[in-house]
Amino acid sequence: MIALKGIDKHFGHHHVLKNIHFHVKSGEKVVIIGPSGSGKSTLIRCINLLEKPSSGEVHVDGIEITAHKAPVTKVRQSIGMVFQQFNLYPHKTVLENLTLAPVLVKGVRKEEAEETGMKYLERVGLKDKAHAYPAHLSGGQQQRVAIARALNMHPKIMLFDEPTSALDPEMIQEVLDVMVDLAHDGITMVVVTHEMGFAKQVADRVIFMDEGKIIEEAKPEDFFNHPKNERARLFLSKIFR
Amino acid sequence: MIKDLFKAENLMFLMQGLAVTLTIAVATILLSIMIGTILGIARHSRNKALSRMSGVYIESVRNVPMLLFILAVRFMTPLNAVVSGIVAMTIFTSAVIAEIVRAGLNSIGQGQWEAAKSQGLNHVTTLVHIVLPQALRNITPALVSQFITVVKDTSFVWAVGTEELTGRAIILMGKHNNPVQVFTLFGLVAAIYFIPNYVLSHMAHWRQRKILH
Repeated sequence: MIALKGIDKHFGHHHVLKNIHFHVKSGEKVVIIGPSGSGKSTLIRCINLLEKPSSGEVHVDGIEITAHKAPVTKVRQSIGMVFQQFNLYPHKTVLENLTLAPVLVKGVRKEEAEETGMKYLERVGLKDKAHAYPAHLSGGQQQRVAIARALNMHPKIMLFDEPTSALDPEMIQEVLDVMVDLAHDGITMVVVTHEMGFAKQVADRVIFMDEGKIIEEAKPEDFFNHPKNERARLFLSKIFR
Repeated sequence: MIKDLFKAENLMFLMQGLAVTLTIAVATILLSIMIGTILGIARHSRNKALSRMSGVYIESVRNVPMLLFILAVRFMTPLNAVVSGIVAMTIFTSAVIAEIVRAGLNSIGQGQWEAAKSQGLNHVTTLVHIVLPQALRNITPALVSQFITVVKDTSFVWAVGTEELTGRAIILMGKHNNPVQVFTLFGLVAAIYFIPNYVLSHMAHWRQRKILH
Protein backbone atom coordinates (compact mmCIF):
# COMPACT_ATOMS: atom_id res chain seq x y z
CA MET A 1 0.00 0.00 0.00
CA ILE A 2 2.80 2.39 0.94
CA ALA A 3 6.41 2.03 -0.15
CA LEU A 4 9.18 4.51 0.57
CA LYS A 5 12.36 3.64 -1.30
CA GLY A 6 15.67 5.21 -0.45
CA ILE A 7 14.24 8.46 0.93
CA ASP A 8 16.61 11.25 1.84
CA LYS A 9 15.49 14.62 3.10
CA HIS A 10 17.63 17.67 3.71
CA PHE A 11 16.50 20.92 5.31
CA GLY A 12 19.38 23.16 4.36
CA HIS A 13 22.45 21.56 5.91
CA HIS A 14 20.30 19.40 8.15
CA HIS A 15 20.07 15.79 6.98
CA VAL A 16 16.69 14.78 8.44
CA LEU A 17 16.00 11.46 6.73
CA LYS A 18 18.80 9.14 5.71
CA ASN A 19 18.12 6.50 3.11
CA ILE A 20 14.78 5.38 4.51
CA HIS A 21 13.16 2.18 3.25
CA PHE A 22 9.68 1.74 4.61
CA HIS A 23 6.78 -0.46 3.52
CA VAL A 24 3.25 -0.73 4.82
CA LYS A 25 0.89 -3.47 3.70
CA SER A 26 -2.80 -2.90 3.12
CA GLY A 27 -4.65 -2.96 6.43
CA GLU A 28 -1.49 -2.85 8.48
CA LYS A 29 -1.15 -0.61 11.56
CA VAL A 30 2.33 0.81 11.97
CA VAL A 31 3.39 2.96 14.89
CA ILE A 32 6.49 5.13 14.56
CA ILE A 33 8.24 6.15 17.75
CA GLY A 34 11.52 7.81 18.59
CA PRO A 35 13.03 10.83 20.32
CA SER A 36 12.11 14.31 19.11
CA GLY A 37 14.10 15.40 16.10
CA SER A 38 14.54 11.83 14.94
CA GLY A 39 12.64 12.50 11.69
CA LYS A 40 9.37 10.67 12.45
CA SER A 41 7.13 13.58 11.51
CA THR A 42 9.12 14.27 8.37
CA LEU A 43 8.83 10.61 7.43
CA ILE A 44 5.05 10.47 7.82
CA ARG A 45 4.70 13.76 5.94
CA CYS A 46 6.63 12.29 3.03
CA ILE A 47 3.88 9.70 2.55
CA ASN A 48 1.41 12.32 1.24
CA LEU A 49 4.19 14.62 0.00
CA LEU A 50 3.54 17.42 2.49
CA GLU A 51 7.34 17.17 2.52
CA LYS A 52 9.02 16.50 -0.78
CA PRO A 53 11.89 14.06 -0.35
CA SER A 54 15.25 15.34 -1.58
CA SER A 55 15.70 11.98 -3.25
CA GLY A 56 14.05 8.57 -3.34
CA GLU A 57 10.64 7.30 -4.37
CA VAL A 58 7.26 7.28 -2.65
CA HIS A 59 4.70 4.78 -3.90
CA VAL A 60 1.11 4.82 -2.66
CA ASP A 61 -1.39 2.24 -3.80
CA GLY A 62 0.77 1.33 -6.78
CA ILE A 63 1.36 4.92 -7.96
CA GLU A 64 4.76 6.57 -7.74
CA ILE A 65 3.74 10.00 -6.47
CA THR A 66 7.29 11.33 -6.56
CA ALA A 67 7.31 10.84 -10.33
CA HIS A 68 7.16 13.86 -12.63
CA LYS A 69 3.52 14.97 -13.13
CA ALA A 70 2.19 12.25 -10.82
CA PRO A 71 -1.48 12.74 -9.81
CA VAL A 72 -0.51 13.87 -6.31
CA THR A 73 -3.73 15.70 -5.40
CA LYS A 74 -5.72 12.70 -6.57
CA VAL A 75 -3.71 10.28 -4.45
CA ARG A 76 -3.95 12.62 -1.43
CA GLN A 77 -7.74 12.21 -1.55
CA SER A 78 -7.28 8.61 -0.47
CA ILE A 79 -4.88 9.46 2.38
CA GLY A 80 -6.46 11.02 5.46
CA MET A 81 -4.19 12.98 7.76
CA VAL A 82 -4.62 14.03 11.37
CA PHE A 83 -2.29 16.73 12.68
CA GLN A 84 -0.90 17.54 16.08
CA GLN A 85 -2.58 20.98 16.02
CA PHE A 86 -5.90 19.64 14.57
CA ASN A 87 -5.92 22.29 11.79
CA LEU A 88 -9.68 22.44 11.53
CA TYR A 89 -11.06 25.22 9.32
CA PRO A 90 -12.08 27.78 11.96
CA HIS A 91 -14.47 29.72 9.72
CA LYS A 92 -16.56 26.62 9.02
CA THR A 93 -18.89 24.69 11.29
CA VAL A 94 -17.99 21.17 12.30
CA LEU A 95 -20.22 19.65 9.64
CA GLU A 96 -18.90 22.07 7.00
CA ASN A 97 -15.38 21.00 7.94
CA LEU A 98 -16.40 17.45 7.09
CA THR A 99 -18.18 18.21 3.82
CA LEU A 100 -15.88 20.83 2.29
CA ALA A 101 -13.29 18.58 0.69
CA PRO A 102 -15.65 15.78 -0.44
CA VAL A 103 -17.84 18.35 -2.21
CA LEU A 104 -15.06 20.51 -3.69
CA VAL A 105 -12.55 17.82 -4.53
CA LYS A 106 -14.48 14.63 -5.13
CA GLY A 107 -17.68 16.22 -6.43
CA VAL A 108 -19.85 14.45 -3.88
CA ARG A 109 -23.35 15.93 -3.57
CA LYS A 110 -23.65 18.15 -0.51
CA GLU A 111 -26.57 16.18 0.97
CA GLU A 112 -24.66 12.95 0.60
CA ALA A 113 -21.51 14.40 2.18
CA GLU A 114 -23.61 15.70 5.07
CA GLU A 115 -25.24 12.34 5.55
CA THR A 116 -21.96 10.41 5.71
CA GLY A 117 -20.50 13.29 7.74
CA MET A 118 -23.18 12.91 10.40
CA LYS A 119 -22.48 9.19 10.49
CA TYR A 120 -18.81 9.82 11.22
CA LEU A 121 -19.62 12.51 13.77
CA GLU A 122 -21.84 10.02 15.55
CA ARG A 123 -19.01 7.53 15.48
CA VAL A 124 -16.61 9.96 17.17
CA GLY A 125 -19.39 10.93 19.60
CA LEU A 126 -19.90 14.50 18.40
CA LYS A 127 -23.16 14.41 16.50
CA ASP A 128 -24.60 17.13 18.72
CA LYS A 129 -21.72 19.48 17.79
CA ALA A 130 -22.39 19.37 14.04
CA HIS A 131 -23.33 23.04 13.84
CA ALA A 132 -20.84 24.38 16.36
CA TYR A 133 -17.67 26.20 15.33
CA PRO A 134 -14.30 24.59 16.13
CA ALA A 135 -13.35 27.40 18.53
CA HIS A 136 -16.19 26.30 20.81
CA LEU A 137 -14.89 22.74 21.17
CA SER A 138 -12.26 21.35 23.53
CA GLY A 139 -8.97 20.11 22.12
CA GLY A 140 -10.05 16.50 22.36
CA GLN A 141 -13.30 17.25 20.59
CA GLN A 142 -11.49 19.18 17.87
CA GLN A 143 -9.16 16.28 17.26
CA ARG A 144 -12.08 13.87 17.02
CA VAL A 145 -13.69 16.21 14.47
CA ALA A 146 -10.38 16.21 12.57
CA ILE A 147 -10.48 12.41 12.47
CA ALA A 148 -14.09 12.47 11.25
CA ARG A 149 -13.14 15.08 8.64
CA ALA A 150 -10.42 12.80 7.29
CA LEU A 151 -12.74 9.78 7.32
CA ASN A 152 -15.45 11.58 5.37
CA MET A 153 -13.13 11.41 2.34
CA HIS A 154 -13.34 7.60 2.66
CA PRO A 155 -9.56 7.18 2.68
CA LYS A 156 -7.69 3.92 2.29
CA ILE A 157 -4.88 5.14 4.50
CA MET A 158 -4.93 7.23 7.68
CA LEU A 159 -1.85 9.12 8.84
CA PHE A 160 -1.65 10.42 12.40
CA ASP A 161 1.13 12.87 13.19
CA GLU A 162 1.36 13.03 17.01
CA PRO A 163 -2.43 13.33 17.34
CA THR A 164 -2.46 13.55 21.14
CA SER A 165 0.68 15.60 21.79
CA ALA A 166 -1.13 18.94 21.96
CA LEU A 167 -3.92 17.68 24.22
CA ASP A 168 -4.50 18.05 27.94
CA PRO A 169 -3.95 14.69 29.65
CA GLU A 170 -7.63 14.12 30.41
CA MET A 171 -8.51 14.43 26.72
CA ILE A 172 -5.96 12.01 25.33
CA GLN A 173 -8.01 8.90 26.03
CA GLU A 174 -11.11 10.03 24.13
CA VAL A 175 -8.98 10.51 21.01
CA LEU A 176 -7.14 7.22 21.47
CA ASP A 177 -10.47 5.42 21.89
CA VAL A 178 -11.59 6.69 18.50
CA MET A 179 -8.28 5.60 16.96
CA VAL A 180 -8.51 2.12 18.47
CA ASP A 181 -12.05 1.81 17.19
CA LEU A 182 -10.83 2.85 13.75
CA ALA A 183 -8.02 0.31 13.83
CA HIS A 184 -10.58 -2.47 14.15
CA ASP A 185 -11.99 -1.37 10.79
CA GLY A 186 -9.09 -2.74 8.83
CA ILE A 187 -8.00 0.62 7.44
CA THR A 188 -4.26 1.10 6.84
CA MET A 189 -2.82 3.28 9.61
CA VAL A 190 0.52 4.96 10.18
CA VAL A 191 0.78 6.68 13.54
CA VAL A 192 3.54 8.82 14.99
CA THR A 193 2.95 8.89 18.73
CA HIS A 194 4.42 8.74 22.21
CA GLU A 195 1.43 6.73 23.45
CA MET A 196 3.05 3.36 24.13
CA GLY A 197 -0.20 1.87 25.40
CA PHE A 198 -1.79 2.56 22.05
CA ALA A 199 1.20 1.07 20.23
CA LYS A 200 0.97 -2.12 22.28
CA GLN A 201 -2.76 -2.37 21.77
CA VAL A 202 -3.13 -1.83 18.02
CA ALA A 203 0.23 -1.87 16.25
CA ASP A 204 1.13 -4.74 13.96
CA ARG A 205 4.60 -3.32 13.83
CA VAL A 206 6.60 -0.70 15.70
CA ILE A 207 9.26 1.39 13.98
CA PHE A 208 11.92 3.03 16.09
CA MET A 209 13.71 6.00 14.57
CA ASP A 210 16.73 7.95 15.68
CA GLU A 211 18.79 10.60 13.89
CA GLY A 212 16.94 10.21 10.61
CA LYS A 213 17.23 6.44 10.39
CA ILE A 214 14.98 3.49 11.08
CA ILE A 215 16.93 1.66 13.75
CA GLU A 216 14.59 -1.06 14.80
CA GLU A 217 11.45 -2.61 13.37
CA ALA A 218 9.57 -5.27 15.32
CA LYS A 219 6.25 -6.57 16.58
CA PRO A 220 5.21 -4.49 19.60
CA GLU A 221 5.58 -7.32 22.15
CA ASP A 222 9.13 -8.00 20.95
CA PHE A 223 10.06 -4.35 20.74
CA PHE A 224 8.77 -3.36 24.17
CA ASN A 225 9.99 -6.50 25.98
CA HIS A 226 13.29 -7.17 24.20
CA PRO A 227 14.50 -4.16 22.26
CA LYS A 228 17.60 -5.16 20.36
CA ASN A 229 19.09 -1.78 19.87
CA GLU A 230 20.86 0.10 22.64
CA ARG A 231 19.32 3.48 21.76
CA ALA A 232 15.85 1.96 21.67
CA ARG A 233 16.48 0.46 25.12
CA LEU A 234 17.58 3.82 26.44
CA PHE A 235 14.55 5.54 24.90
CA LEU A 236 12.15 3.01 26.43
CA SER A 237 13.80 3.21 29.83
CA LYS A 238 13.20 6.98 29.80
CA ILE A 239 9.56 6.56 28.85
CA PHE A 240 8.77 3.77 31.32
CA ARG A 241 10.46 5.19 34.40
CA MET B 1 -26.73 85.62 8.39
CA ILE B 2 -26.84 81.91 9.10
CA LYS B 3 -30.30 81.77 7.57
CA ASP B 4 -28.79 83.28 4.47
CA LEU B 5 -26.37 80.38 4.31
CA PHE B 6 -28.95 77.65 4.78
CA LYS B 7 -30.93 78.51 1.69
CA ALA B 8 -32.27 75.56 -0.23
CA GLU B 9 -30.12 76.32 -3.25
CA ASN B 10 -26.95 76.43 -1.13
CA LEU B 11 -27.78 73.12 0.51
CA MET B 12 -28.55 71.59 -2.86
CA PHE B 13 -25.23 72.94 -4.14
CA LEU B 14 -23.43 71.17 -1.29
CA MET B 15 -25.39 67.95 -1.71
CA GLN B 16 -24.37 67.77 -5.36
CA GLY B 17 -20.79 68.09 -4.14
CA LEU B 18 -21.41 65.28 -1.68
CA ALA B 19 -22.73 63.14 -4.55
CA VAL B 20 -19.43 63.64 -6.40
CA THR B 21 -17.47 62.83 -3.23
CA LEU B 22 -19.42 59.62 -2.69
CA THR B 23 -19.23 58.62 -6.35
CA ILE B 24 -15.45 58.92 -6.33
CA ALA B 25 -15.15 57.22 -2.93
CA VAL B 26 -17.42 54.26 -3.65
CA ALA B 27 -15.95 53.62 -7.10
CA THR B 28 -12.41 53.89 -5.73
CA ILE B 29 -13.17 51.50 -2.89
CA LEU B 30 -14.80 48.88 -5.13
CA LEU B 31 -12.08 49.01 -7.78
CA SER B 32 -9.31 49.03 -5.18
CA ILE B 33 -10.72 45.97 -3.42
CA MET B 34 -10.62 44.03 -6.68
CA ILE B 35 -7.23 45.24 -7.91
CA GLY B 36 -5.70 45.32 -4.42
CA THR B 37 -6.79 41.74 -3.68
CA ILE B 38 -5.25 40.50 -6.92
CA LEU B 39 -2.05 42.45 -6.24
CA GLY B 40 -1.95 41.20 -2.64
CA ILE B 41 -2.32 37.59 -3.75
CA ALA B 42 0.39 38.11 -6.37
CA ARG B 43 2.67 39.69 -3.75
CA HIS B 44 2.08 36.72 -1.43
CA SER B 45 2.57 34.20 -4.25
CA ARG B 46 5.44 31.73 -4.32
CA ASN B 47 5.99 32.74 -7.94
CA LYS B 48 9.02 35.03 -7.57
CA ALA B 49 8.47 37.05 -10.75
CA LEU B 50 4.82 37.69 -9.94
CA SER B 51 5.60 38.61 -6.36
CA ARG B 52 8.39 40.98 -7.39
CA MET B 53 6.32 42.70 -10.06
CA SER B 54 3.54 43.31 -7.59
CA GLY B 55 6.09 44.46 -5.02
CA VAL B 56 7.56 47.03 -7.38
CA TYR B 57 4.11 48.44 -8.09
CA ILE B 58 3.14 48.58 -4.43
CA GLU B 59 6.35 50.20 -3.25
CA SER B 60 6.58 52.74 -6.05
CA VAL B 61 2.99 53.86 -5.57
CA ARG B 62 2.77 53.77 -1.79
CA ASN B 63 5.79 55.98 -1.30
CA VAL B 64 4.60 58.83 -3.52
CA PRO B 65 1.97 61.39 -2.40
CA MET B 66 -1.49 60.60 -3.70
CA LEU B 67 -1.95 64.23 -4.73
CA LEU B 68 0.74 63.71 -7.35
CA PHE B 69 -1.33 60.97 -8.99
CA ILE B 70 -4.42 63.15 -8.89
CA LEU B 71 -2.56 65.97 -10.65
CA ALA B 72 -0.85 63.68 -13.14
CA VAL B 73 -3.95 61.76 -14.20
CA ARG B 74 -6.03 64.94 -14.51
CA PHE B 75 -3.52 66.86 -16.58
CA MET B 76 -1.94 64.06 -18.60
CA THR B 77 -5.01 62.10 -19.66
CA PRO B 78 -8.20 63.12 -21.46
CA LEU B 79 -10.35 61.68 -18.64
CA ASN B 80 -13.05 63.92 -17.16
CA ALA B 81 -12.85 65.34 -13.66
CA VAL B 82 -14.68 62.58 -11.78
CA VAL B 83 -13.21 59.66 -13.70
CA SER B 84 -9.66 60.97 -13.43
CA GLY B 85 -10.16 61.32 -9.68
CA ILE B 86 -11.37 57.72 -9.46
CA VAL B 87 -8.44 56.45 -11.54
CA ALA B 88 -5.83 58.36 -9.56
CA MET B 89 -7.22 57.35 -6.20
CA THR B 90 -7.56 53.73 -7.32
CA ILE B 91 -3.91 53.61 -8.43
CA PHE B 92 -2.91 54.67 -4.96
CA THR B 93 -5.48 52.86 -2.82
CA SER B 94 -5.11 49.48 -4.53
CA ALA B 95 -1.44 49.48 -3.50
CA VAL B 96 -2.38 50.12 0.12
CA ILE B 97 -5.07 47.44 0.05
CA ALA B 98 -2.63 45.00 -1.56
CA GLU B 99 -0.36 45.35 1.46
CA ILE B 100 -3.30 44.83 3.82
CA VAL B 101 -4.39 41.71 1.91
CA ARG B 102 -0.86 40.36 1.96
CA ALA B 103 -0.67 40.84 5.73
CA GLY B 104 -4.00 39.01 6.00
CA LEU B 105 -2.74 36.09 3.94
CA ASN B 106 0.41 35.94 6.06
CA SER B 107 -1.74 35.79 9.19
CA ILE B 108 -3.12 32.38 8.18
CA GLY B 109 -0.93 29.61 9.54
CA GLN B 110 0.77 26.95 7.47
CA GLY B 111 -1.46 24.36 9.16
CA GLN B 112 -4.48 25.52 7.18
CA TRP B 113 -2.64 25.10 3.89
CA GLU B 114 -1.41 21.68 4.95
CA ALA B 115 -4.80 20.45 6.10
CA ALA B 116 -6.36 21.47 2.79
CA LYS B 117 -3.47 20.00 0.82
CA SER B 118 -3.74 16.72 2.70
CA GLN B 119 -7.37 16.51 1.64
CA GLY B 120 -6.46 16.90 -2.01
CA LEU B 121 -7.40 20.58 -2.46
CA ASN B 122 -5.25 22.40 -4.99
CA HIS B 123 -3.61 25.78 -4.38
CA VAL B 124 -6.35 27.95 -5.87
CA THR B 125 -9.23 26.11 -4.18
CA THR B 126 -7.42 26.37 -0.85
CA LEU B 127 -6.88 30.08 -1.38
CA VAL B 128 -10.50 30.74 -2.32
CA HIS B 129 -12.27 28.51 0.21
CA ILE B 130 -9.92 28.30 3.17
CA VAL B 131 -7.32 31.05 3.31
CA LEU B 132 -8.94 34.17 1.79
CA PRO B 133 -12.17 34.03 3.82
CA GLN B 134 -10.17 33.83 7.05
CA ALA B 135 -7.70 36.48 5.90
CA LEU B 136 -10.51 38.89 4.98
CA ARG B 137 -12.02 38.52 8.42
CA ASN B 138 -8.70 39.30 10.04
CA ILE B 139 -8.14 42.43 7.97
CA THR B 140 -11.66 43.89 8.16
CA PRO B 141 -10.65 46.61 10.66
CA ALA B 142 -7.63 47.63 8.56
CA LEU B 143 -9.72 47.66 5.38
CA VAL B 144 -12.45 49.78 6.92
CA SER B 145 -9.97 52.30 8.21
CA GLN B 146 -8.55 52.53 4.69
CA PHE B 147 -12.07 53.02 3.28
CA ILE B 148 -12.58 55.89 5.71
CA THR B 149 -9.31 57.40 4.53
CA VAL B 150 -10.54 57.15 0.94
CA VAL B 151 -13.76 59.02 1.74
CA LYS B 152 -11.81 61.81 3.41
CA ASP B 153 -9.05 61.94 0.79
CA THR B 154 -11.53 62.58 -2.00
CA SER B 155 -11.19 66.21 -0.90
CA PHE B 156 -7.79 66.22 -2.63
CA VAL B 157 -9.44 66.23 -6.07
CA TRP B 158 -10.46 69.83 -5.38
CA ALA B 159 -6.81 70.56 -6.19
CA VAL B 160 -7.62 69.97 -9.86
CA GLY B 161 -10.90 71.87 -9.67
CA THR B 162 -13.24 68.92 -9.31
CA GLU B 163 -16.21 70.22 -7.39
CA GLU B 164 -16.71 67.72 -4.65
CA LEU B 165 -17.99 68.51 -1.18
CA THR B 166 -15.01 70.45 0.14
CA GLY B 167 -14.60 72.34 -3.14
CA ARG B 168 -18.20 73.42 -3.17
CA ALA B 169 -18.03 74.54 0.44
CA ILE B 170 -15.07 76.74 -0.45
CA ILE B 171 -17.00 78.17 -3.40
CA LEU B 172 -19.85 79.02 -1.02
CA MET B 173 -17.37 80.73 1.30
CA GLY B 174 -16.70 83.13 -1.55
CA LYS B 175 -20.29 84.33 -1.33
CA HIS B 176 -20.79 83.93 2.41
CA ASN B 177 -17.50 85.16 3.71
CA ASN B 178 -18.08 86.58 7.18
CA PRO B 179 -16.37 84.59 9.96
CA VAL B 180 -19.54 83.09 11.39
CA GLN B 181 -20.65 81.83 8.00
CA VAL B 182 -17.22 80.43 7.16
CA PHE B 183 -17.01 78.74 10.54
CA THR B 184 -20.49 77.28 10.08
CA LEU B 185 -19.63 76.01 6.62
CA PHE B 186 -16.49 74.25 7.86
CA GLY B 187 -18.49 72.71 10.68
CA LEU B 188 -21.22 71.60 8.30
CA VAL B 189 -18.75 69.98 5.90
CA ALA B 190 -16.98 68.22 8.76
CA ALA B 191 -20.32 66.84 9.94
CA ILE B 192 -21.19 65.63 6.45
CA TYR B 193 -17.90 63.72 6.21
CA PHE B 194 -18.31 62.43 9.74
CA ILE B 195 -21.66 60.73 9.26
CA PRO B 196 -20.87 58.16 6.51
CA ASN B 197 -17.48 57.44 8.05
CA TYR B 198 -18.95 56.90 11.47
CA VAL B 199 -21.51 54.51 10.00
CA LEU B 200 -18.73 52.66 8.19
CA SER B 201 -16.60 52.17 11.28
CA HIS B 202 -19.60 50.97 13.26
CA MET B 203 -20.55 48.50 10.59
CA ALA B 204 -17.05 47.08 10.96
CA HIS B 205 -17.42 46.72 14.71
CA TRP B 206 -20.77 45.06 14.29
CA ARG B 207 -19.30 42.64 11.75
CA GLN B 208 -16.36 41.85 14.03
CA ARG B 209 -18.71 41.05 16.88
CA LYS B 210 -20.82 38.83 14.68
CA ILE B 211 -17.77 36.83 13.60
CA LEU B 212 -16.57 36.35 17.16
CA HIS B 213 -20.11 35.27 18.15
